[in-house]
Amino acid sequence: MWGPAAGLPPRRVQSALAGAGRFCLWRPGAATRRARAAWGLRGFSDSYLQPLPYLDFEESFPGESRLGPEPKRYITHRGLARTLGQLLLGRTRRGALILECNPGPGILTQVLLESGARVVALESERAFIPHLESLGKDTNGKLDVVHCDFFKLDPKVCEVIKPPIMISKTLFKSLGIKALPWSEGIPLKVFGIFPIKHERKALWKLLYHLYACNSIYRYGRVELNMFIGEREYQRLTATPKSPDTYQVLSVIGQVACEVKLLHKEPWSSFDVYAQSGKLEKPKNKEISELMEQNMYFIRLIPRKNLFTENLTPINFDIFFHMVRHCFGKPNASLLHHLRALSPIDSKEILRKMKISETKKVNKMSPRDFKQVFERIESMEGDGPYKWLYDDSMDDSLV
Amino acid sequence: MSALCWSRGAAGFRRTLRLSGCTRPAALEGTMVGLGGPRRSSSASPRELDRRKDWGLAELLEVLEARVRQLQAESLSEMMVKRVKVAQAPTVPTRWEQKLNQDKQKMQNRQQRIEKRLQKHSQKLAQKLKPRPLRLEPQLLSEELAGCLQQEGLQSPWEERLEQVLQKASEKLSVKMQAPPDDQEEEEHVSARQRNMLAFLECCLTTDHLPLAHHVLVSQHSMPRRRQLLTLTMYNIVMLGWARKGSLKELVYVFFMMKDAGLSPDLLSYAAALQCLGRVNSDVHTIKRCVKQMAQDGLQLQQLFTDLAMPTEERAALLNALLKAQPDFSPPQAPPQVNTSTLLKDIYAQDGPTSYPRLPLPLKTLQDLFQEQLRMELEANISVESVEKAPKLDRPVLEARKTLKALRAQWEAALHRVLQETKARMAREAHQGQPSLYPFLCLLSEKDLVGLLMQALQALPSQGESLMFLAHDLGIRVFNRHAVQQKQRNHQLQELEQRYLRYLHLLASDTQVATPCLPRQYWEALGAPDMPPLQPWPMPLLMKLGRHLAEMLVQAVEMPHNLGTSQGSRKLIPVLYHVYSFRSFRQIGILKPHPAYTQLLATAAESTLNFESTDVPMLCPPLPWTSSHTGAFLLNPTKLMRGVDGNLQHQRLLESCPATDLHGALDTLTQLGNCAWRVNGRLLDLVLEVFLDKGSVRLGVPPPVSEAPQPPEGVLPPNTPPARKAEVRRELAHCLKVAREMHSLRMEALYRLSLAQHLRSRIFWLPHNMDFRGRTYPCPPHFNHLGSDLARSLLQFAEGRPLGPQGLDWLKIHLVNLTGLKKRESLKARLAFANQVMEDILDSADRPMTGKKWWMKADEPWQTLACCIEVAQAVRSPDPTAYISHLPVHQDGSCNGLQHYAALGRDSIGAASVNLLPSDLPQDVYSEVAAKVEVFRREDVKKGVLVAQVLEGFISRKVVKQTVMTVVYGVTRYGGRLQIEKRLRELDSFPQEFIWEASHYLVRLVFKSLQEMFSGTRAIQHWLSESARLISQAGYAVEWVTPLGIPVVQPYHHDVKYQVPGGIQSITCTSTVDSRQKPNTLKQKNGFPPNFIHSLDSAHMMLTALHCYRKGLTFVSVHDCFWTHAADIPVMNQVCREQFIHLHSQPILQDLSTFLQKRFCDNPRSHKPSERLLLSQLQNRLKSVPQTGDFNLEQVKHSKYFFS
Repeated sequence: MWGPAAGLPPRRVQSALAGAGRFCLWRPGAATRRARAAWGLRGFSDSYLQPLPYLDFEESFPGESRLGPEPKRYITHRGLARTLGQLLLGRTRRGALILECNPGPGILTQVLLESGARVVALESERAFIPHLESLGKDTNGKLDVVHCDFFKLDPKVCEVIKPPIMISKTLFKSLGIKALPWSEGIPLKVFGIFPIKHERKALWKLLYHLYACNSIYRYGRVELNMFIGEREYQRLTATPKSPDTYQVLSVIGQVACEVKLLHKEPWSSFDVYAQSGKLEKPKNKEISELMEQNMYFIRLIPRKNLFTENLTPINFDIFFHMVRHCFGKPNASLLHHLRALSPIDSKEILRKMKISETKKVNKMSPRDFKQVFERIESMEGDGPYKWLYDDSMDDSLV
Repeated sequence: MSALCWSRGAAGFRRTLRLSGCTRPAALEGTMVGLGGPRRSSSASPRELDRRKDWGLAELLEVLEARVRQLQAESLSEMMVKRVKVAQAPTVPTRWEQKLNQDKQKMQNRQQRIEKRLQKHSQKLAQKLKPRPLRLEPQLLSEELAGCLQQEGLQSPWEERLEQVLQKASEKLSVKMQAPPDDQEEEEHVSARQRNMLAFLECCLTTDHLPLAHHVLVSQHSMPRRRQLLTLTMYNIVMLGWARKGSLKELVYVFFMMKDAGLSPDLLSYAAALQCLGRVNSDVHTIKRCVKQMAQDGLQLQQLFTDLAMPTEERAALLNALLKAQPDFSPPQAPPQVNTSTLLKDIYAQDGPTSYPRLPLPLKTLQDLFQEQLRMELEANISVESVEKAPKLDRPVLEARKTLKALRAQWEAALHRVLQETKARMAREAHQGQPSLYPFLCLLSEKDLVGLLMQALQALPSQGESLMFLAHDLGIRVFNRHAVQQKQRNHQLQELEQRYLRYLHLLASDTQVATPCLPRQYWEALGAPDMPPLQPWPMPLLMKLGRHLAEMLVQAVEMPHNLGTSQGSRKLIPVLYHVYSFRSFRQIGILKPHPAYTQLLATAAESTLNFESTDVPMLCPPLPWTSSHTGAFLLNPTKLMRGVDGNLQHQRLLESCPATDLHGALDTLTQLGNCAWRVNGRLLDLVLEVFLDKGSVRLGVPPPVSEAPQPPEGVLPPNTPPARKAEVRRELAHCLKVAREMHSLRMEALYRLSLAQHLRSRIFWLPHNMDFRGRTYPCPPHFNHLGSDLARSLLQFAEGRPLGPQGLDWLKIHLVNLTGLKKRESLKARLAFANQVMEDILDSADRPMTGKKWWMKADEPWQTLACCIEVAQAVRSPDPTAYISHLPVHQDGSCNGLQHYAALGRDSIGAASVNLLPSDLPQDVYSEVAAKVEVFRREDVKKGVLVAQVLEGFISRKVVKQTVMTVVYGVTRYGGRLQIEKRLRELDSFPQEFIWEASHYLVRLVFKSLQEMFSGTRAIQHWLSESARLISQAGYAVEWVTPLGIPVVQPYHHDVKYQVPGGIQSITCTSTVDSRQKPNTLKQKNGFPPNFIHSLDSAHMMLTALHCYRKGLTFVSVHDCFWTHAADIPVMNQVCREQFIHLHSQPILQDLSTFLQKRFCDNPRSHKPSERLLLSQLQNRLKSVPQTGDFNLEQVKHSKYFFS
């Protein structure tokens, strides 16, 4: 269900503004493999005896490597930036509020400011910040620059909250952004590029927050405009017609949002730089495969009618569990799964919903899943127990 | 019929799954591991598939028979019609009629053909369904052997055939006989299938299914591919079985097969053959022939008695045969063994004053206690009254209990049925020549097995239990019960009883023994050594068996679907559901009870708790430890060295080391277990009062779940916005989390207190064993002296001692120690303080819950209270020196790990700071480190470091204490920083935004300070870990021997995954202790220094314990905290210091270096240059033992605060 763990790809930087070397030099010492291995080992234990790691006086501090840098991509072509600006702003030019994640050199920021939008630049790399701040000098405060990593907002476990890790509540409060009710319009738009290695993780995190009305979605139906890799895009938009890519994420994502493809940009417009700063052909097979794909610019708007009386931010985790359970064995019938999910007479439910007993899970559309869930949730008179799930069973996704 | 539908569905499923499995990309395969299929269909699938198969056969047979009958009837009628026709029209047939006749003829022929075929088929099927007789005669490959077997007209056919087959040389020498039999290497060759087969055969033997074992062996032997998997051991097992029965014919068959497979008999085979000959009273000639052949194979007769362990009865049969052939043969006697370790010389010296302590009970009482304990262990579990408030017995409660009772009766019946069905199916499988689980299901009686499953159901938590855990648990339980039942056979129980009753003469207060000796020595003198233990089953087998049992539960246990609501239809639904839980990348199969069932249990609120008999302290003195597997509980098997299940390397190591090397450990563990305990009733009353009221977090009494924060009440109005619902959800989640944590804490306390209540007016014992480094632990998990303050306060020595002249003072000092108020004061000052607060002490003792509650402010409140009560009673008694005290008084090592390091490295500065040097005031290493850190900080302030300025006034003992304490045990900078961060967070005035930076900075300074103070320590740690790294890189796990002779090996290896496919879901387990895997270098390296230090502190404890025992003291320990009676504290302290000096006078590091060089460098098994280079590096490293400082160990003798 999840992709294989990626090895450390060579660093990629895309830069037209400055020499590649400059970008590379900004990155602090990369995590060594060993440090990572040691980090991963922490959770292991024998039955009663904790592994007793040796005290190493000169040991490098492993905490740093965990937060270690990852290569980022930036918009650097003015032409592309203009196209994106048009797509982003559409007709509502004036007064639109746009949260730009990791603007880097700020090419797009400039375009957006020029078109009169209000821009909040969340930049995770400290080095870009002075330049970005200089962009906003003569725009009457239409630009806010914050040292913040959008994809690390509201961490679930973190001992110390310090920039670029932030809490959305404090961030939005300082920006003066007010919450809009779910049924009303869009409070703000976000532009960004999913982090290369963690596209899926970031997507999951956003969806989890969306269903929970947490983090940025506390403020209403935030519109996301994101660059995403081809593979994830296909997964996100898969339907029963494409059984190879149809999976949990597709269902959860499509039930929650309208996914609209705005633009395709070939990967080749991004260069890959090695550590030495020279342009190199990447040796890593995975990366070179990636290079042949397109980057997809998509828009995700949460559905107004996502939440109903039966699917709410209170019980969405059961829905998640149901879908995950079903896709654990996508070739099995729905009936088969329902028997393990709910003590309610599953045949009865299917009969009422007029679904064939032999209907397979991977033939169900995302909407079907939602309907089945809501039907069970709204069952009455069959005892108080609708689900076998309880929330100690799954670890939440973020 | 519905079952049929289901199984078909399931079968269809499997097919599709398999298909999809092929197309699934490899990367995804891994994540699908462990996913079989949720509940029912797949749960029932293997079983029902089979049933379907059987059903199919039976059904088909029926259909066919019906069809035959029908056809017969049809053809008959047709014939009659024909005859009639012929009779009616004798005229010349027309062409049409001819044609018609021809056709009819054809039809008839065809029908007959079909009929025949059908009949044949049905006969075949009937044949298949009928149980075939078990095969006895092997099918041999070698014609020569076969001819030999077929030979007729022999006088005493089987004996002569045996002689013949003995002479036949094996065609090929088996590989294993050529290679030196190395345990570890041999095991590598044994595949999972072989291990299954082996376990099957062994189990058949114990369950008296020998013909079945023979049948399976013969079946497998006759299939060439399967035959390759058969090993000598398998033939030997079956042969031994026949030998025990005295069935020569079958034994000869096996012998033939063995030769046919090209294996040559080993010692075990000969032992079996001779035993059998002894039993059938065979003639001398055959026996002589056998003995001669043995000699030709290079095996000595003596070896039969020295190398093999067998019961007395078998030994007698064997000897019977041998004496016929060699009348002058006498089995060798093992010489008495004496421990030769220099450290233990004094302990095992025959002369010198010894006054071993005795138990405060007369012989008669002890004998009765033994009977009680025996009964308890035979019953396997014990129900204990819960101390929780009983519910009001109103209607719902009574009704729920009634329903539950009725349901349980139903379930038992259903389980019986399912078990029988399963057994029948498995038996069929075995009859087809497959090693199935059949004999394992026969190990326990059906009643026992059903009872076991019912208990598992009872114990299932409401949130469910992972199938893997449940399967493992069930498997282990079956194994343990089986082991207990094994000991009931062959008069073993009576033997044990007689021996134990005689053994009690050594311990009882009113008996005499000729020469005082240690319990182990006395026990050994009373009889022959014990049988070797049952070999543990291979893990996959254990899992498979457990999973089968769990499946039966899922299948059999059902309840009405409207349980608890109104009574209506009686439709049955399952109680257990097989669901999946998702934890990041893993999917975990869980068995979860229906919420209504959980609700029913909660309503019924039954007031008994069920414990396994091994979870409860013993009611009589434990069996003395005599070997690595005998000791502690009377019947339940207990390991001397505890470890992860499936970890065989420790056991192997212990078994291969000379028996005498273990004596020190065996005697210490026996002694610790022999300490009699009783419950402090007064304290228990007080604790129960708090427990049943509302609990108290401050006092460590967990409050009931009803005290947890309550989630918001009421139904949300229909148009609540999502944002509000999100908030509600967060509140709910929080409440739930808190409630769950509270529940688990509460249950732990409930178990502990219920057990304490159960044992209130009794005397009991805590049998001990040790971990792989030699640290000792009590076996019963819930109620022992290793627990929290609360648990410790509930325990007292059963034996009392008069306080004597100094006892009261020690009691008072102990009291002050427990409060934690005067840690840095001298003993005198502590005593003065105790006298000063005597009023508070007396008040605490008299009115603990209503008075000034002085005791509640102490570090260890409950123990303080217990001590207050003791002091009060002593002070008020007419003569305090004669007051009989039962309270254990503690002496703590001050930073014991660092003490050992300082002694090893002879660090003067370090030694002074951990109280190895005599001084007037106790030294405190934590304060010293804090002071040193403060010095460094000041320097940094001068340099203008911002963090250093922020930390002004915040560096205290408390901030650095935990880090310093754990440094010895290998805490890293990362862990150290987290510890310090926690401390800083607790400081309200500390600017929180600096926490990260400050903790980072502080941990660096702490490490720097330690490095300066304990320079020798640093060198030793480095030397140890570098050696470990090289050893591990050379492909070995680090091994060493503690100064007392206990062999240690670090069980850290690379993960190995094994899968147990099939059934309700396939189970994937990971094991890090598989010694066949390469060692995990990181863990080996990081683990060595702390583990080595632990093995030293355990050696120190053991030495102290043994010497105290010799002086007649009661002694127990919690690792580096030693307990004894108040009156005996001075003696114990003296012994403790002497033994520390004694231990460290040994060239410990030098010995270690020599041992490691001998073990790893002497015979390099590889000739690869890279490995040889590594080994030479290792040798160099090992030779350069770190230099030591100039600290004089003898000074410890006068250090008051060494342990205080």
